[in-house]
Amino acid sequence: MMRIFFIAFILLFTLTFFSPVMALNMDSAQFKIQGGNVNIGAQDQDSSNYHITTTLGQTAANEFSSSGYIVKAGFQYIHSIIPFRFIVSNTNIALGTLLANTPATASTTVKVSFGLSGQYLVTAAEFNPLKTLSANTIPDTACNGGVDTCTTSSSKVWTSTSAYGFGYNMTGDDIPADFVDSTYYRPFADLSVAGSPQTIMSNTNVTLDSGSTPRNSTQSTMTFKANVSSVQPAGTYQTIISFIATPSY
Amino acid sequence: MIHLKKVTITIILLFFVLISHFSSVVRAQQVSIVVSPPLLELYIKPGKSVLIAYKIENNGDPVVLKSFVLPFEPKDSLGNIRIIPEFQGPVRFNLDNSIIQLNQPYVMKSNDSQQLLLRIRVPEGAPEGDYYYTLLTETQPPPVVEGVAMGRAKASIGSNILVTVTQNGNLDLNGKISTLEIIPRLKIPWGKRSINIIDATDKVPLVLVVHNKGKNFMKPEGKITLKSNFGEKATYNIIPQNILAQSERTLTASPSASYDCTLPAEQSLCKNTPSLVLSGFFVGRYQISADIGFGESSPRTFASTEFIALPLKFIVALIAVTIISALLMITIKRRQNQEIDIYK
Repeated sequence: MMRIFFIAFILLFTLTFFSPVMALNMDSAQFKIQGGNVNIGAQDQDSSNYHITTTLGQTAANEFSSSGYIVKAGFQYIHSIIPFRFIVSNTNIALGTLLANTPATASTTVKVSFGLSGQYLVTAAEFNPLKTLSANTIPDTACNGGVDTCTTSSSKVWTSTSAYGFGYNMTGDDIPADFVDSTYYRPFADLSVAGSPQTIMSNTNVTLDSGSTPRNSTQSTMTFKANVSSVQPAGTYQTIISFIATPSY
Repeated sequence: MIHLKKVTITIILLFFVLISHFSSVVRAQQVSIVVSPPLLELYIKPGKSVLIAYKIENNGDPVVLKSFVLPFEPKDSLGNIRIIPEFQGPVRFNLDNSIIQLNQPYVMKSNDSQQLLLRIRVPEGAPEGDYYYTLLTETQPPPVVEGVAMGRAKASIGSNILVTVTQNGNLDLNGKISTLEIIPRLKIPWGKRSINIIDATDKVPLVLVVHNKGKNFMKPEGKITLKSNFGEKATYNIIPQNILAQSERTLTASPSASYDCTLPAEQSLCKNTPSLVLSGFFVGRYQISADIGFGESSPRTFASTEFIALPLKFIVALIAVTIISALLMITIKRRQNQEIDIYK
């Protein structure tokens, strides 16, 4: 009897004094507030030497001003607290063993996440063309050539098995408009000859997709392609591809 | 004894087969890095320094990272940046972390986070003005795999730092609206001006570009107002976005309609990056005005444009129906006349 009474007491005590923690969901079918913490103590604090505004209930929010500097970063500056995320699904883009006149392809997925606000840019460039330690190179592609000659900033059709080189195609979200379909390729900008990294993904408003569907991330696929001739010297051909994702200011 | 020898040889052979097989396999390695905050605005006096805590997260495979700071400049009027490969400017950066230093590699495990304590220092005598930098955190590319043609990816993520060096806190904010125009269906020259004509059901893209002629970056605020001849009025708030010194930026206003780029009729519109897309049923003459301020001490700036909305599609359809009806009536009348002639 005492045991039952003791258990009942513990239960009653727990239910009375330990109320459940409720996450505040500030969303509906029409809107969603990110980082939805309730600012219970927002106020300005002043003295003769400094001026601070604070918002309580968050981790990094502050605006601090003293006689020497003002820093603006935090919840009061919403663009500055939504984390900026960059994902490359595969950093080993292996084209395997290259056979003459047989194009080899490999792909990687590039994803950017920027909450429900902000804009971003992703650029890509190669350190040098695909080359071996003994400096044999697979040149950057010019695509099919003729009217279908591509450049680092303009993709063209590359379907000919007798057109040799190394290049890339983009499909998915926020890609340059010249990548019409999966047959369109560009060569990488070559950093070894001061090439300028080219934009492969960009958006001025990650909030909306090409229609009007809200989203907070964007994703595309980069397909690498190499095609060599029968006189291409044997060897291990490699290069480094540099992806840089930057948010806007 | 012979049996034992056979087993040993089998094990050794199996070992070599496994080693040779797995050593040539290229394993996919995922990079997933997060930086926070992605933007920092700092107003600072020469001779002062400030400490900022950045958080780097690794949500991918274990990775070797390196963080460093490089200057940037605006790439276009859309808010994109171009990183300058050589460090320049008077602002000095270093990490106050005990182990990690700028430009030195450090290791991060999967699902690990690292705080970077970035010290930003402006030396005495540094010239007043704006200096723009990006804190970059880059991964090291995976090692070379022999016998396989491959590209090894190096991923970098940036966080922008806008530094305004000012001795007394006074800022040079001088903004001007350089473009306020719609992208119409028809543009008819009319003297020195032109008349913008749209269809009543068209979505109307509006481009608003502001030029910052001042020496410091600024954050414009204001509104765009759409007024019709019938007195109707709609207001759209301009989203405060930084415009860097001596540069232009296409501003964004809200609430804005959007295009459906999958629809053939709207695909041509998707090539543009408008500030605002107006949608609705428009009839008559409309005036669009922009009213923008750049801060307490700077004057406001205004601009306006107009367009005329006509039910073009309806008129074309009406003309087509009228012509077809007329043709039908003429044909019917001719037949009737022919039939009357036969009976006669």
